[in-house]
Amino acid sequence: MSGSVPPGAPDAEPMSAPRVFICGVGILSPLGRGLAATAAALREGRRGLAPLELFACPFETPLPVGEVRGFAAAGDLPRTHALALAAAADALEGAEGPPDAVVLGVTTGGMLSTEEHLKKGFRWPEPSPYHAAASVTECVAAAVGCPGPALTVATACSSGAAALKLALEMLRRGRVASVLAGGADSLCRLTYYGFNSLQIVDPDGARPFDRRRRGMSVAEGAALLLLRASATAPPGALAELRGGGLSCDAHHPAAPHPEGRGALAAMTAALADAGLTPGEIDYVNLHGTGTIENDQAEGRAVYAFFGGHPPPASSVKGCFGHSLAAAGAIEAVVAALALREGLIPGNIGGEQPDPGLLLVPEAVPRQARLTTVLSNSFGFGGNNAVLVLGRPELAPPPVRPAAAAGWVVEGAACLTGAGDTRASLEALAEGRACRGILPEENLTAHLPPRSVRRMKRLARMSLGLAAAALAEAGPGAPTAVFMGTGWGALSETHDFIEKLYASHEFFASPIDFVGSVHNAPAGRVATHFQATGPNITMTGGNYSFEQALAAADLLSPEDAGRILVLAADELHPVFSRVFDPSVALDAAPSDGGGALALRRASPGAGPVLTPGWLGPGTRPRAVARLVEHHGGTHGIRERYGAVLAGIPAAERETGQGQLAEFLGLTGFGGPVVDYRRYTGEYAGASAVAAVWAQAWVRRDGLPPAVCGKRSPGLEGRGVLMLGLGAWLASCALQAGGAP
Amino acid sequence: MNDLIEQLKRQIIKALALEDVVPEAIDPDAQLVGGPLGIDSIDVLELVMLVEKEYGLVIDSKELGARVFTSLRTLADYVRERSARGA
Repeated sequence: MSGSVPPGAPDAEPMSAPRVFICGVGILSPLGRGLAATAAALREGRRGLAPLELFACPFETPLPVGEVRGFAAAGDLPRTHALALAAAADALEGAEGPPDAVVLGVTTGGMLSTEEHLKKGFRWPEPSPYHAAASVTECVAAAVGCPGPALTVATACSSGAAALKLALEMLRRGRVASVLAGGADSLCRLTYYGFNSLQIVDPDGARPFDRRRRGMSVAEGAALLLLRASATAPPGALAELRGGGLSCDAHHPAAPHPEGRGALAAMTAALADAGLTPGEIDYVNLHGTGTIENDQAEGRAVYAFFGGHPPPASSVKGCFGHSLAAAGAIEAVVAALALREGLIPGNIGGEQPDPGLLLVPEAVPRQARLTTVLSNSFGFGGNNAVLVLGRPELAPPPVRPAAAAGWVVEGAACLTGAGDTRASLEALAEGRACRGILPEENLTAHLPPRSVRRMKRLARMSLGLAAAALAEAGPGAPTAVFMGTGWGALSETHDFIEKLYASHEFFASPIDFVGSVHNAPAGRVATHFQATGPNITMTGGNYSFEQALAAADLLSPEDAGRILVLAADELHPVFSRVFDPSVALDAAPSDGGGALALRRASPGAGPVLTPGWLGPGTRPRAVARLVEHHGGTHGIRERYGAVLAGIPAAERETGQGQLAEFLGLTGFGGPVVDYRRYTGEYAGASAVAAVWAQAWVRRDGLPPAVCGKRSPGLEGRGVLMLGLGAWLASCALQAGGAP
Repeated sequence: MNDLIEQLKRQIIKALALEDVVPEAIDPDAQLVGGPLGIDSIDVLELVMLVEKEYGLVIDSKELGARVFTSLRTLADYVRERSARGA
């Protein structure tokens, strides 16, 4: 199988039901580096928690954390990037060739380095290339020479597990043959002070499921797993990744549903995916953060799920601490080790079981033959991801039929400097741009002020977009939400750090902290509309919308019904210019986003949105491969009547070159709209363009004012959207009933 | 005492972004959390920070928090008693 088949490529002919095996592991954690060190520490029941040393803290006694000791980032790379690179090198040791894709869960990216910059004043001379969570994944992909997509999942504390589920689906559908997947996060002030402001950090170190527990221990680490698709276990395979389940509590931004409703749903989905029954699970690796609420909700969910008779269970967060995006991947490694070594890890730190939790974890490590393990990861925003691993020699999981290609657009909405969808389309009809910053009160015009009280700009924009797209779609709630954002909640992040520094690091705002995670907006959308299915936030700079669409296509259940896919980015007066070089080049700042209510394609319905190509932009034949993917010269001319090209200002030269190559290869004669000239510069601009494209497909023509001298009519053909620059990302909108 | 209540009202409205609430609309004896203002557990933590920052009082247990944040008046009483003792 070719190395750069993107996640959006059509499903290959089923070989013999590819299974997914863990064939390499790189892990760095407070328990050491590598599988052997990790296994030895788990066997001893070692606790890797100690008072913070990584950065200065004014507390009399710094809080205990899980720090990766004896590890220093080289050069100017942030610590998260360095941890991820080290784990990647270890995972690929002895592997032949690079992986076809890299999929990582990351929450804070280069935050620790950004904080250092901000300490010196809220300005710095050069744009920071390593702030974005996605830059961790891209850095790893470049270092290992990955020829395919680099996708970043940002669902807070479940990111690592959700990334593994996403990789699993890419492999199962034959879109790639190998993926380097996992998660990474370094300690930073945002999470250290942020969790403490929520009063969910245990001053004595995490004591999961203990009746005296007072909270978690924030930690850091990286775990990357080399996953391979294969009909049978490759020699040396550690374990099989058998299945995964996703859900959303749709309950509260930070606290779990008290009865563990989402946890139960995710475990149910994971087991169905793995083709196993609860009675076939030999060990449960609990999320078990050690907070009062998590352990209570999880205890109830596990008790109910296993009909009152749960198998042996333990949380390893008393050993590793909670390394946020890395945690789900680290615990997948723990699960794989448990299977290989026949080792049930001890629930270290939790010595006095809480009789109210209905669950008494395994107190100390012990040997036992295990064939299957369930591993729980839950996060802010109620974003839950559960994985199932099995010994490689088990009977294969069930094969599910491939879903129909494409998504019918039932409703769509955008917010731009010009206003809402209608105002934006009217401006375009007159050939006017939609640049600028919409006043905050216009973002959520149709929502009661109380419902958006704690939301800053990005969350408001997201909820406003979702509400407008759903209003257009008509009755019916969404079951799942997929969001893309290049930069996340910049306002909350900025305000959190500013208040923290203004108080000499004594006071941190819990509201800003909870709102600062990338997945906070999508969590709010899900809660507002009670979308309890998968809730995934992807971040990939200017290609975040395309990544969210790819994730939606791969992760939505067959019977998902209506789903929401949206992308947005806010203009922040301080951060946007330093983080996003394209924003820095734009004289008049802009922001906005777009949302689409979608349903799996059925013949004859409205415009159909199909994810396309996603891969590096400057490798040899990059554009040619994209053209081939969309049916070659002939196919493109036959299927598409217009091209919407997204060329970020900072990548104009590259993007113009790619576009010229595309036009040269295809001889495309229809209108080509350079849409950032109309949207302005922001990472989520392609979602806005997708909303415009579906409106124009619906009307069977573009406004002549944006088409120059080319014919604006589509004559039943669709619109091809091209994201150009460092990456190539495409998607297509076609008239209903089109193939 | 009433001055303190009025001051707390303004501080709470600002800290919790209660954009649609005027100080007069807050009943000092109404239930603060889960009451008419829609204040939840995260808001309470924001108020914990406010009380520590503005009045130097540390509220670090759920039990104490539940007592102090029963109503605006219990909060004002707590601030008045403790600040006076500390002064």
